Amino acid sequence: MNIEMVDGPGGVVVLRPAGRLNMVAAPAVREAVNSIVDSGRSRIAVDLSGVDFIDSSGLGALISGLKSTRQAGGDLRIAGANDQVKLVLSLTNLERVLTPYDTVENAYGDA
Amino acid sequence: MMPESVSRTVRLTTPPGDVNTVHDFLVDVWHEASTVSEIDRMSIETALIELAANVMQHADSDGAGLACEFAIVIDDEAIAITVRDTGEPGEIQLVGAEMPELDAESGRGLALITALVDDVAYSQEDGNNVWRLRRSRVATA
Repeated sequence: MNIEMVDGPGGVVVLRPAGRLNMVAAPAVREAVNSIVDSGRSRIAVDLSGVDFIDSSGLGALISGLKSTRQAGGDLRIAGANDQVKLVLSLTNLERVLTPYDTVENAYGDA
Repeated sequence: MMPESVSRTVRLTTPPGDVNTVHDFLVDVWHEASTVSEIDRMSIETALIELAANVMQHADSDGAGLACEFAIVIDDEAIAITVRDTGEPGEIQLVGAEMPELDAESGRGLALITALVDDVAYSQEDGNNVWRLRRSRVATA
């Protein structure tokens, strides 16, 4: 999976995975988050507007990122989720820890 | 008009086949079954990819390729999926599969499947693992 990484507002790093976030693609998301945290930055927004499907492996990668960023004093937030992603977040109760924001700007609107 | 019925099957060996092979198959099926509602598509797609991932993870255990077959039958009432593989007999607990703690990084697949379809059954037939999923269709407006 090709994951675009750009600087967002307020020092947030924006990750833009694209396509299907499944067991094939999930390791790349974990690695991208780990490389950001290793570089000393820990506020990440994952822009899911290019993701058309997520499964439990993809969710696992996001939870892994949530834990590693928080341990480093930051956070991982998600934006732009489509209906399938929202359905899966809801069925797994993960919307409680991975709130789907409309846009990356809104995700860190409180910052 | 004749009742709509679509029946398609894909066979693959993993590796090199993977969940994307199964996903591409399903995308083709939806082109033919144009009346299936969005919520039914999402639910079946998610359930099937979770099941395929589960089957394929077990395939990795001894490094040898695993042959699997994915079949879908869509009629006016329901969408039925049958998955067969030649892997080791499954030890997968389906009944009572519960969502793990919020910070768990795995273990949600089977609970997701049971939340997305109406029936899930597992059996061993002729030395194969056989999974059957069925979801009643949500009427479209």
